[in-house]
Amino acid sequence: MAYPFQLGLQDATSPIMEELLHFHDHTLMIVFLISSLILYIISLMLTTKLTHTSTMDAQEVETVWTILPAIILILIALPSLRILYMMDEINNPSLTVKTMGHQWYWSYEYTDYEDLNFDSYMIPTQELKPGELRLLEVDNRVVLPMEMTIRMLISSEDVLHSWAVPSLGLKTDAIPGRLNQTTLMAMRPGLYYGQCSEICGSNHSFMPIVLEMVPLSYFETWSALMV
Amino acid sequence: MRVTLKSWDPAPIAPEKWFLCLGSEGRGRGPCVGQDKHTHTHTHTHTHMQMSFRATWSLVLKKVGPGMRGMHSPGSAANSEGKMPPYTNYHAQRSYPMPDEPFCTELNAEQRALKEKEKGSWTQLSHAEKVALYRLQFHETFAEMNRRSNEWKTVMGCVFFFFGFTALLIWWQRVYVFPKKPITLTDEWKAQQLQRILDMKGNPVQGLASRWDYEKKEWKK
Repeated sequence: MAYPFQLGLQDATSPIMEELLHFHDHTLMIVFLISSLILYIISLMLTTKLTHTSTMDAQEVETVWTILPAIILILIALPSLRILYMMDEINNPSLTVKTMGHQWYWSYEYTDYEDLNFDSYMIPTQELKPGELRLLEVDNRVVLPMEMTIRMLISSEDVLHSWAVPSLGLKTDAIPGRLNQTTLMAMRPGLYYGQCSEICGSNHSFMPIVLEMVPLSYFETWSALMV
Repeated sequence: MRVTLKSWDPAPIAPEKWFLCLGSEGRGRGPCVGQDKHTHTHTHTHTHMQMSFRATWSLVLKKVGPGMRGMHSPGSAANSEGKMPPYTNYHAQRSYPMPDEPFCTELNAEQRALKEKEKGSWTQLSHAEKVALYRLQFHETFAEMNRRSNEWKTVMGCVFFFFGFTALLIWWQRVYVFPKKPITLTDEWKAQQLQRILDMKGNPVQGLASRWDYEKKEWKK
């Protein structure tokens, strides 16, 4: 989850998110370079008494400031496309979990082996136990085995929602009438929080997602209990 | 604020005399009164308030149309139709210092004689005549044109005033509008929350839990 005075992205829990972190560093560096160049030029413009009002053409600088941004954009696009294709690699998931967005909660279906269905509502602030995170905790967490590729199928029963878990680099729209698929793989155990990311009505901010990544044996125990 | 003028600079024009040269009806300026007779006393010791007042007032006096065009492009060809003199704006453009039209277009007999004399050798001209010719041609000297003003003080004053006013509004909002803070923002809850996050090793790579020393049970130095 996010912590106070956090500046960057949350730590990566999945390999894809790691790649995205590095890509973000790379792109942000380019953005900082461009912005500081512009700031410097603006400060030069504002602190000179010289004027020049008779510019007719400027072919050299025009060429430079067309070619150079094109190169910069290619330098951004290539890593970006690489990660995009990496997300769609074939990975043979071991488990499939379905999640349906409702107004205003998520419901989860584990139907590979048994028929496990449950809803996941946010815990209201008054009912929080001491130390829990406001607007982030849910009554039934999504327990999943760690270090295994899991297929998530995401859809909605009513309006648009979006199932997002930032530290795994996941954000997939839940569209009524459509099945969207994403791949989940957590390298560490723990609790990973996310929030609905598509406006869906008055309680859009109050339908969070909590993944509980546990070793496989714990997952088996839990799913046996839940059914 | 006094402008330090060099010895050869022509005498600064008294502000009220500026209006005589402005031709506020848009018909051209009218005779330019002899400008070398003015005294130094009260011209540039005006406060920035009076200067900006006169600037605004002179803007009001000018007609929209040729007058406004005159503001942004002194000496451009478009000016000639309205017969407005180039330097009709109070702050002449530093970037366009030599307009095509002279400042004073209607000359009296004495001034026309001077222009005739100008066609001859310039060594024959006295200092006063050179100054008079300069004043016919240009509204202000470079020193006058580039003089500093106290406008920045007004601007900063207004900026800080609005900062303060906004601060008052925000304080009032905090006292009378905002609801009670949730229980999770108390120190006790925040401490328990932090302990929970550290226990579950949230962001252990570079984030929060990575800065906690689990052996010594304290923040890493």
